[in-house]
Amino acid sequence: MNHKAYQSNKRKLLIMGGLVLIVAILYMTIGVNFQNQRLLQYSMKIRAPKLIAMLITAFTIGGASIVFQSIINNTIVTPCLLGMNSLYTLIHTFVVFFLGSGSILVMNANLSFAIDLVLMGVVATVVYSYLFKKTNHNILYVLLIGTVLSSFFSSIQSTLIRVMDPNEYDTLLTSLVASFSNINTEIIVFSVAVLGLIILVLHKELALLDVITLGKDQAINLGVDYDRCIRKLLLGVTLCIAVATAMVGPISFLGLIIANLARQLLKTYRHKQLILGSALFGMIVLVGGQLVVERIFVYAVPISVFITVGGGIYFLYLLLKSRRG
Amino acid sequence: MKIKNLKKQYDGKTVVDSVSFEIPKGKVTSMIGPNGAGKSTVMGIISRLIEHDAGTVEFEGKQLKEWKSKELSKRLSILTQSNNVQMKLTVKELVTFGRFPYSGGRTTPEDEEIIEKAIDYMELKEVEDRFIDELSGGQRQRAYIAMVIAQDTEYILLDEPTNNLDIYHATNMMKIARCLCDELGKTVVMVLHEINYAAFYSDYICAFLNGKIAKFGTVEEVITKETLSEVYKVDFEIMEIKGKPLSICY
Repeated sequence: MNHKAYQSNKRKLLIMGGLVLIVAILYMTIGVNFQNQRLLQYSMKIRAPKLIAMLITAFTIGGASIVFQSIINNTIVTPCLLGMNSLYTLIHTFVVFFLGSGSILVMNANLSFAIDLVLMGVVATVVYSYLFKKTNHNILYVLLIGTVLSSFFSSIQSTLIRVMDPNEYDTLLTSLVASFSNINTEIIVFSVAVLGLIILVLHKELALLDVITLGKDQAINLGVDYDRCIRKLLLGVTLCIAVATAMVGPISFLGLIIANLARQLLKTYRHKQLILGSALFGMIVLVGGQLVVERIFVYAVPISVFITVGGGIYFLYLLLKSRRG
Repeated sequence: MKIKNLKKQYDGKTVVDSVSFEIPKGKVTSMIGPNGAGKSTVMGIISRLIEHDAGTVEFEGKQLKEWKSKELSKRLSILTQSNNVQMKLTVKELVTFGRFPYSGGRTTPEDEEIIEKAIDYMELKEVEDRFIDELSGGQRQRAYIAMVIAQDTEYILLDEPTNNLDIYHATNMMKIARCLCDELGKTVVMVLHEINYAAFYSDYICAFLNGKIAKFGTVEEVITKETLSEVYKVDFEIMEIKGKPLSICY
């Protein structure tokens, strides 16, 4: 084993962990009135759940992106291409449209989150594992169909919105364009439980990821039950995306940026390190970005603008680089 | 390894049709034939990469399907043509993957020794810390072979191992295949395009035509004017060099 690289990567990850800690502490303390007990408590009550939600989001998006890229064997894709974001929007529009915004499915955040998870999980398993088999693991087909499904879902959704009661639409909108200033903190406990379960169930498959990146033939040659493994991992990716989307809404470029930054920095095939690195990058970007948005821009510009602009530029850079190479 | 009545269809088109033969243990067997004759598909089927529609593949007294994938990966290894890795992977790390069926992600000192030996055997010592994607085609091919050697299986299947290699590296590749058999006692099965490589370096040859076996036998039995002309639909002359039948087509 390449021991030196392994050790130096470990050091890099430690430094990143330290940075996350610093940013998190800054986020919790800057602009807080420490003299007044009640004000202090109030700020903590607002900031702590937000911070936790951001850390969870970063972890899910970072991990899911790395896993997805490795399954697809392409480093410039994100799990957003599976069309799960538009499915999420559609599910919520459906519920509000047919059951009304007063329905328990809308009011109870945990319940609606559970429905999201189940529906997205089922759709992803059925559609994608079937497609994977049918197209003989031709990733391009799967991505293409993901794109088509994505616009299919959003067309249905926009049709529903057109005929919807404007008051209902108002309520719906808050759950659809959730941003980092409007984080769905009610589902934190539930999300952590779901994530823990995913990691527990998939830990064997995650360990196989290193081999899977060698390609289908090599993975089978080395004794991996490829089809089953891919199906399970894809389900895990979808659920992770569902968690992140339910918490903060769709953020498309974040996964692409942090996964590639991690790959560039660590230059390794070890997925344990890659996933960790990607998650840590996500935490730095999200918490640091939100800190800047809240304290410097005073909420004038949402963080998603920075992420999309920065992500777009980084994406172009990746494309040009891979073309030259 | 016994193969019986193998059949495979793609979209209703039969690509492998009632193929039966037995791969002799401890020998080098080459499969030759024109493009689309089904040799690579047969190779895929006997290495469990491709599912077949009918027929049986018996491996060491047990049906291939009944083998656990993990157990099988300690007995049989396959090297296909398309090997592109998007990961940053060094030669040594790649070879280490060969030990995966035995010890998962964690290597034992014993594994390390086998890995060292495989790297030395393929003369990759100087480049062992270089990344795979920075190597030349020949070096990369050798790195993959080293991985297969580290996997230490009785059966080694190579799908067009000389593809994209220049004469020097291709010849070396064939010598290595011979050594795997003679020195390490492996059973080697290859798909080859160059008839003369097949004739010179293998013990048995299986000639395919239109999804069927045109002829299976020792080199002398298969490399004849008649068989080759029938299989390739061109005229052949057979010459003898160093006791081996070499063919020239025109």
